[in-house]
Amino acid sequence: MATSDKLIQVQDLCKHYNHGALHALDGVTVDVNKGDVMVVIGPSGSGKSTFLRSLNLLETPTSGSILFDGVDITKKKYKDETGKTVKLNIDIHRQKMGMVFQHFNLFPHMTILDNMTLAPIQVKHMSKGLAEEKAKGLLARVGLEDRAAAYPIQLSGGQKQRIAIVRALMMEPEVMLFDEPTSALDPEMVGEVLSVMKELAQAGMTMVVVTHEMGFAREVGNRVLFMADGKLLEQGPPEQIFGNPVHPRLKDFLSKVL
Amino acid sequence: MITIEGFQAAFKFWMLFRDGLICTLCLSALTVLFGFILALFVALARMSKFWPLKALATVYVEVLRATPMLVQLFIVYYVLLAGVQLPTFRLFGIIPFERFFPGVIALSLNSAAYLSEIIRSGIQSIDLGQTEAARSLGMTQFQTMRFIILPQAIKNILPAIANEFVTIIKESSICYTIGVQELMFAANSVKTAIYSMGEPAIIAACVYFCLTFPTSKIIAYFERRMRRGDKR
Repeated sequence: MATSDKLIQVQDLCKHYNHGALHALDGVTVDVNKGDVMVVIGPSGSGKSTFLRSLNLLETPTSGSILFDGVDITKKKYKDETGKTVKLNIDIHRQKMGMVFQHFNLFPHMTILDNMTLAPIQVKHMSKGLAEEKAKGLLARVGLEDRAAAYPIQLSGGQKQRIAIVRALMMEPEVMLFDEPTSALDPEMVGEVLSVMKELAQAGMTMVVVTHEMGFAREVGNRVLFMADGKLLEQGPPEQIFGNPVHPRLKDFLSKVL
Repeated sequence: MITIEGFQAAFKFWMLFRDGLICTLCLSALTVLFGFILALFVALARMSKFWPLKALATVYVEVLRATPMLVQLFIVYYVLLAGVQLPTFRLFGIIPFERFFPGVIALSLNSAAYLSEIIRSGIQSIDLGQTEAARSLGMTQFQTMRFIILPQAIKNILPAIANEFVTIIKESSICYTIGVQELMFAANSVKTAIYSMGEPAIIAACVYFCLTFPTSKIIAYFERRMRRGDKR
C-alpha cells in the first residue's frame, strides 16, 4: 500500500498564538507518502486539527515548511522546473487537496448537485453536463443518487458528510484531509461515513484523518500519529501504537479512550 | 380645511404630480443602484486587512450616519458641486439635470453608508466554515464571495435592504429643498396655485404609499423565493 513516494513533507512546523505565548504546533516533522492512510490521534487541544488545517493553509503556520508535490506552499514564491521564480497560487494546490470538515460545511443555498458541480465548473472549467454526470456517478457510489435535487437541510448528518466527501472527490484530489469527520454525527450515523472512508482508502486514496474513532485508526490506518501539546510524540503502524505504546502520554491517552 | 373642491382644484394640476412622480422614481432608482454598488465596496473596505482602507471606510460610514441628510444634501449641492459646471439639460424634457444630479449624489452617499453596514453584517453572519469549504475546493476569494457568501448574505439581509430602499424613496422628498422637481416639489407648486397645502400633501402621501408599499412586497416575494433551501 505505502510506497516511498513522498506527497507531503512537513518540516518543523510551528503555529504560535499570542506572540508565542501559545504553541498550537511545536515543531512537527512528518512525511505523507502516496497511498498512506495516516490517522492522527490525541487529546483535544493537542494541535491535531491545527496540523491538518495547516496542510492546505487554512491555518497559516508561524514557521516551518510544507512541501506538497515538491513545492513549499508556505512561501509566496517558488522555483519551477525550469528554474524560473513564479508566484505561488495556493488555490491551485488546494484543488489537489480535498478537505472534509467536522461540521460538513455544505452550501445551504444550493442543491446537492450544485454543491458538487460548482467548483469543477467554476474552477476547473468542466462543462455542466460532464460535471453533473460525474456527480451522479459519485452519488451512486455513496448510495445517495436519489438526493441530487435535495437541499442540504433535508439530509441527515451522515448523508451530509457523505455528500461533503464526494463533493471534495469531484476535484479529483491527490490527498483527502479529514478533520474529525464523525465528531458531529449521531452515533448511529458514524458507521455509514466511516465505511465510505474505508472504501476510499481501499481504492488507494492518500488520506490524513484526524479522528477519535480508534477502531477506524486500527483497522484502516497504515500509520498512526499521536500528538499532544502541539508536538508529534509517537508514530508508527497501528499494531505498534495500540499494541505496544511507548510514550507515557500515549499510554495515558489510550487508557482513557479504549 | 380640506374640501372636495380643494381636491378638484389640486387634480387640475395632475401633470405636475405626474412629472414629480417620474422624477421621484428616477431619483430613487438611481440612488438604489449607485448606493448599493458603493455600499458593496465600502463594506468590503471595512472588512479589509489593509488598515488605511479600513479606516477610510469607517470614517465615511460614521460621518455620514452622524450628520443629518438635509445638511449632507446642502453640502453636496452648495459646497462639493458648487464649482462644477453641470450640463443644463432636462431629463425626459422635465427634470433639470443640474439639480437632479447633486440630489442623486447626496442620496447615494447617504444610503451607501447605511447599506454598507447592512451588507457587512450580512457577510459577517455567514459561518466561516462556508469560506473554508469553498477555498478548500480551490475557489478564489472572489469566487467564494460571488457564489457562496453573497447569495447567503443577501438572503439574510433582504428585509433590512427592503427597509432601506423604502427609506430612500421617502428621503428623496428632501431634494425639493434644492429645487429638484420631484413629488414634494410638485405638491408645493400646487399649493401656491390653489392656496391650500392640505390636499396636495394628501395626494403626495398617497402616491408615496403606492410606491413604497409594493416595493416592500416585491422584495418580500424574492425573500420567500430565496428561502427555498431552508425548508425541510
